[in-house]
Amino acid sequence: MAAAYGDCMNTKQTTPALVTHDLTKRYGGRAAVDNLSVEVPAGVVAGFIGPNGAGKTTTMAMLLGLVRPTAGSATVLGSSLDDPGAYLGRVGALIETPAFWPGLTGTENLRVVATLSGHDTRRIPEVLDVVGLAGRGGDRFGAYSLGMKQRLGIAAALLGDPELLVLDEPTNGLDPVGINEIRQFILELADGERTVLVSSHILSELEHVSDWLIVINDGSLLYQGPADGFLGRVPTTIALAPEHPGDLDRLSALIRADGHDPRRDNGALTVPVDEDDAKALAAALNKAAVAHGIVLAELHTRRPSLESQYLAAIGGER
Amino acid sequence: MIAAIRAELVKIFRRRVLVITGITTVVFAVGSAALVLASAEPAGGRFSDRGATVESLSGAGGGTEVFTTAVSFAGTFLFVLFVGVVAIEFSRGTFRTMLIHQPRRIRLLAGKTTALLGLAAVVLAVTEALTWIAARAFAPTKDIATGRWLSADALGQAVADYGSVLFWVSGYALLGTMLAVLVRSVPVALAIGIAWAGPLEHILQDAWGPASRYFPGLLLEAFVAGGTSAVSATRAFLTVTVYVTLAAAIAATVFSRRDVTA
Repeated sequence: MAAAYGDCMNTKQTTPALVTHDLTKRYGGRAAVDNLSVEVPAGVVAGFIGPNGAGKTTTMAMLLGLVRPTAGSATVLGSSLDDPGAYLGRVGALIETPAFWPGLTGTENLRVVATLSGHDTRRIPEVLDVVGLAGRGGDRFGAYSLGMKQRLGIAAALLGDPELLVLDEPTNGLDPVGINEIRQFILELADGERTVLVSSHILSELEHVSDWLIVINDGSLLYQGPADGFLGRVPTTIALAPEHPGDLDRLSALIRADGHDPRRDNGALTVPVDEDDAKALAAALNKAAVAHGIVLAELHTRRPSLESQYLAAIGGER
Repeated sequence: MIAAIRAELVKIFRRRVLVITGITTVVFAVGSAALVLASAEPAGGRFSDRGATVESLSGAGGGTEVFTTAVSFAGTFLFVLFVGVVAIEFSRGTFRTMLIHQPRRIRLLAGKTTALLGLAAVVLAVTEALTWIAARAFAPTKDIATGRWLSADALGQAVADYGSVLFWVSGYALLGTMLAVLVRSVPVALAIGIAWAGPLEHILQDAWGPASRYFPGLLLEAFVAGGTSAVSATRAFLTVTVYVTLAAAIAATVFSRRDVTA
């Protein structure tokens, strides 16, 4: 089911930021990550999608040198996974829940990690400002809300102005406003030079920010490639419903006469169409219905969502 | 490793930590000096084999004997302190944060331990000085002569006592670090640490005589006490050195190879 990697031709740069070959992590007899082979082109925002327990965090932990693979290999920014010290200085990461020292202030926590990684501590005010914590850097981390902790984790990831940003469920604990801010923030970070690998099990979060997708389930790859390619696997449809149910057959015949293949769906009809033709066809069908005395109570275009695609992919896999 | 030391110092050199450490040090130094002097008996007294005597305290090393005697009672406390300080980094997930920023694991662990031992070295030096000052102030109440406490011999004894206590603390620190790395859980590590360094070794010592020559906590106690009837200070030093080297190797190996998932 995984898409061929040839699909990455429309990416912004040619050198991949991440490559894994048959990456596997087993805990006892259970494979948390199972022969995962993926490639993330540099400069893209890559959405890493899968339900809870799919293996996203374990994969990211392996890429960050926290967890040893049972088998397989990988390169991050051109360096082997065997030597995380060779590339982690150019990687910013937030994995699982943000873990800091509760007795230290936000600024002090960032000073600890900046000192540890050799990054310039003068960037601390700047990254606090970027994540919206400019006025709260002097507060103790233990007094932060969950959303503020998450923001501080992202600030820590940005300290080194990284080439690759790895964000594991970055919107965990955030309110809708915070989620939207993180979404905008990811889009701002995606400047075509920086690669962002962001995971989530809430698919709508990634739908509008990802131009590359990796979809996994039960540790195995379901899809990798351009986001458009994944979304295009289920067609856009136009849904129509007549005001009077008795007109459904006549409406169906009209649509067939126009060369389309409508399907009945709970008192309505759905017509698969090309995304580009959807608007014109909806107008044409509306005109035809009115011309034949059929009043439409419903007429709209249904574009495939990441969630519907994902559920379809899971269904196909299972 | 330098970066790891400096990062740890960022955590240590905070006003709150310094104030708490300072107050604790002063209270411990003054309180323990008062207790050691109050409990000192003339040589040959009923409990004179359990601590400093009036005669020993009147010697050149009397001023710093108060320090070594007082500190030796804090062995279990120091052990569990190091166990807790390291284990909590696992349970809080902060080792994960640190490893993302410093993936050279052995350097990270070595830097952290070195910084903590550096702090311990400074605190011990201050404690020794404060204990000496407090003991000198309290000495007249027990008719202890302090004239020789300012001699050149006293200075040499002070350095030797400081070195002994620092070795003793380092031994507990590295054994505690190993336990924390192996167990990774604060409550479990503390339970094991307190049980072992506290009652268990001493109970086993009563049941099995040679325990004094083999158990690390008992050896550390024997070393800082300048040797016992069961084991000399030199033998205790050498055996503890072997244990500490093994503990450091085990901690480094386990820490560098184990998955960090918390």
